[in-house]
Amino acid sequence: MILVIAEQQGGTLNKASWEAIAAAQQMGGPVTAAVLGADTGAPAAELAAADVAEVLRVEAPALTPYTLDGFVSALSQVVRAEQPGDVYLPHTYQTRDFAPALAVHLGRALVTDCVAARQADGRRLFVRPVFQGRLLADVACEGPALATFQIGAVRADSVVRGAAPAAVRTVAVTVDAGAIRQQPEDPFREAKQAVDLTQAERIVAVGRGIKDPDKVALARQLAAALGAELGASRPICDAGWLPMDRQIGSSGQTVAPKLYLALGISGAIQHLVGMKGARTIVAVNKDPEAPIFEVADYGVVGDLFEIVPAVIKELQG
Amino acid sequence: MHPTETWIFRILVLGFAAAFAAQVGTRARLIRRARNNLRVRDDETGRRLLRFITEVIFQSRTIAERPAVGLAHLGVYWGFAAFGIYTGVEFLAGLGIADFTGSRWFHLYAFALVPFSAAVILGITGLLIRRAIVRPAALGDRVSGESVLIGCFILTLMVTFLLAFRWEAGLAARVNWWVHAMVILGFLVLIPDSKHFHLVLSPLTVYLRAPILATVPNLDFEQEQVGLETVADVERKQVLDAFTCVECGRCQVNCPAHATGKPLNPKTLILRNEEALLAGELDRRLADVFDAKVLWQCTTCGACEAQCPVGVEHLPLIIGARRGLASNGEAPDALAAVYNHLERRGNIWGLGADLRQKFVQSAGVEIFDAARHEYLVWLGCAGSFEADFQKSLRSLFDILRAHRVTFGVLARERCTGDVAKRTGNEYQFQELARANIEDFTAAGVTTIVTSCPHCLRTMGVDYREFGFTAEVIHSAALVADLTRTTTVPGTGHVAFHDPCYLGRYAGVTEEPRDLLVRFGATVHEPDRHGANPFCCGAGGGLLFEEHEEGRRISQERLEQLERTGASTIVTACPFCSIMLKGAQASANTQVEFVDLISFVDGRMKGATASAPRP
Repeated sequence: MILVIAEQQGGTLNKASWEAIAAAQQMGGPVTAAVLGADTGAPAAELAAADVAEVLRVEAPALTPYTLDGFVSALSQVVRAEQPGDVYLPHTYQTRDFAPALAVHLGRALVTDCVAARQADGRRLFVRPVFQGRLLADVACEGPALATFQIGAVRADSVVRGAAPAAVRTVAVTVDAGAIRQQPEDPFREAKQAVDLTQAERIVAVGRGIKDPDKVALARQLAAALGAELGASRPICDAGWLPMDRQIGSSGQTVAPKLYLALGISGAIQHLVGMKGARTIVAVNKDPEAPIFEVADYGVVGDLFEIVPAVIKELQG
Repeated sequence: MHPTETWIFRILVLGFAAAFAAQVGTRARLIRRARNNLRVRDDETGRRLLRFITEVIFQSRTIAERPAVGLAHLGVYWGFAAFGIYTGVEFLAGLGIADFTGSRWFHLYAFALVPFSAAVILGITGLLIRRAIVRPAALGDRVSGESVLIGCFILTLMVTFLLAFRWEAGLAARVNWWVHAMVILGFLVLIPDSKHFHLVLSPLTVYLRAPILATVPNLDFEQEQVGLETVADVERKQVLDAFTCVECGRCQVNCPAHATGKPLNPKTLILRNEEALLAGELDRRLADVFDAKVLWQCTTCGACEAQCPVGVEHLPLIIGARRGLASNGEAPDALAAVYNHLERRGNIWGLGADLRQKFVQSAGVEIFDAARHEYLVWLGCAGSFEADFQKSLRSLFDILRAHRVTFGVLARERCTGDVAKRTGNEYQFQELARANIEDFTAAGVTTIVTSCPHCLRTMGVDYREFGFTAEVIHSAALVADLTRTTTVPGTGHVAFHDPCYLGRYAGVTEEPRDLLVRFGATVHEPDRHGANPFCCGAGGGLLFEEHEEGRRISQERLEQLERTGASTIVTACPFCSIMLKGAQASANTQVEFVDLISFVDGRMKGATASAPRP
């Protein structure tokens, strides 16, 4: 049996929990989901919609708000009582906080940041990226393990729903509030950037080569045609041609889109470190010596005012 | 003198001396309780004595930055020294201990003092006018009443001294004598609590100042040292510095952060330290005393420390306080990312070693072999990863090859730890330093050439503390030496931007200019150049902190360089190059940039290409 630890806050399930359940279901065996807190009625009922053997409500007053000691204590009791095989967790900030301690308490291996799990030759393997995502490693471990799943690696909508709601069982755990060393403060949310380029799949970025604030419209058209976000290097934002929250680089946002189109960006290192994680980099620049070509997968040496309109025409035609 | 007069004078001297001693006592206790960081090695004594003669006796630093003011001060200083015995003799007589005032030699001595008194009168009048009427910004927003009072005291002393020649006896003479004596006593009790305490301490602080600019000794982790967290942690030399500061503001006017409207003011740091010490706030966090924000605005350019005429060392205080913050995880976010990159990838940008390898291969450079190679060329983070700076290194390789110099590079490098050191992440610095030194030792390296002034400083000075002995030189010095007999005619007006870590820290100012001139350029100097350049804004980890309060330092420097009228700016440091090019891209001006070594290489190749073929 695979035990999936779902994550909830204030009664709302974290979407990544569904992804961990989907990963567990894909292994073909029975799956049990557990959710922790002082009151887990609502999230447990929600989880019961999935095709799982059982949903465990792990309840104790000291489990809300979240603390590392509280969770490790409660989950150690649950795992010892239920004796599951592997334990799956979404790779959230909260998991990152308690999972290592839990693994040590249980004497189990912990495989972090997995993108998949699969069976091969009668062994179950965890797949995780290494070398900054350049390679995927198959990790085999002896005995039941803990595994955390990268957010977005498994589609949440691939969760198999049950014909009828699964059984919900409350598991009594004792968590000694006095033994908890952490003193959580009120949660806060960092002021969200108006423009979040970090999640963009495609980005069209402009640099000093655009020359004129009016010409930014051209890049905007291309971005619209590509369904891309618009970004910029520092001089463009310094000059106020685009707002600061569109700046990409060491003092702006660090992005990793599938496609990064650099228009008239020379590629100063301060910019490169902010976009080097892009999967495919296409650069258009007049200067064949521009450092951007060192990192570009496709480089066009030429006038962006000729090239960009032609590309837009191609995309729209 | 009437016996009653003698008794009154004795009581007064006793009273004033007691007041003086009480004030000095407070400071002496604070100096004694501070951790002793005074390290004077025997082999440095000669250098320190020489400095004592030039900087204390001849006031070279006081004069260098402000010649007129410095000379005025020199007059007052020498006057004081010359008057020492005069005052002593007069006091012995006044106290009824021994009277030499009637002797022939004393009369001769008094006559000899007349020119000194003239020098003092001239000097102090000039300084008073400057302080009370001209009021330069360096001296602070408001006129220090105390300093004006002391100026008037000094003037009174000189006038009463001269009047004593006119009134040798009688009531006028007695009144004159008493005015003179009381002014001296009044001066005495004003000294400890004012900037005039430098009269007592500055000879000591100048002597004790580290021989090398910005010396910040390693932390000893065995002793559980974590840097300066509270006022109680401030070390002995820094306490002496706090009490000796003469508030002249040379540090302030030379500070690039202050010049661009940031709250950091090196003078204020020292004075805040003094205030906190005297107020007994030993448990107060330095981050609160100084305001943590300003501690991270320092580029470690060293201008403050290099200019200070009384031997104050600002950098051990700033970096010490940064260490205290970094040890508690309170470094700014931008640096947290850098530390992460250093930890994981061993370079400041967190880039993969494959990029460095690609460069080394494409440049056709061999891996260092002590048996075949004279020099190890150190690439540094910029040489390994920054495309622009790699062009400079390719030029260096070509020049070395053209002069049949053998060299190689290490198979792998880590950052020297410059950013970690300057930002107070001492643990990371020491880890990087030890690992690099191990590699150098294993490879049998004896001479290292680098084009990065920050690597130059870190390996050439900071690594010495680990017992590292290899010679470390900057490529500009090596290339200047290799090409010393070469002259290539040419044209072009250039401005050379001295990197702080090359010009100010390493004193390499002649070689770059020699190269530029011999290879046909006309060199234009911005106001701040040579050993006192204006920073580009990148040092001390600020390369990674692009959001600056006030104006950007790089923008200010770019404008200074552009004002020379030169069409090309020559750089010799990857950080300066990144900062100034960034500023230029934002300002969108026409000036061009070229790296010093690339300039030389280009001119050499141009000359070869145009030379008539045999």
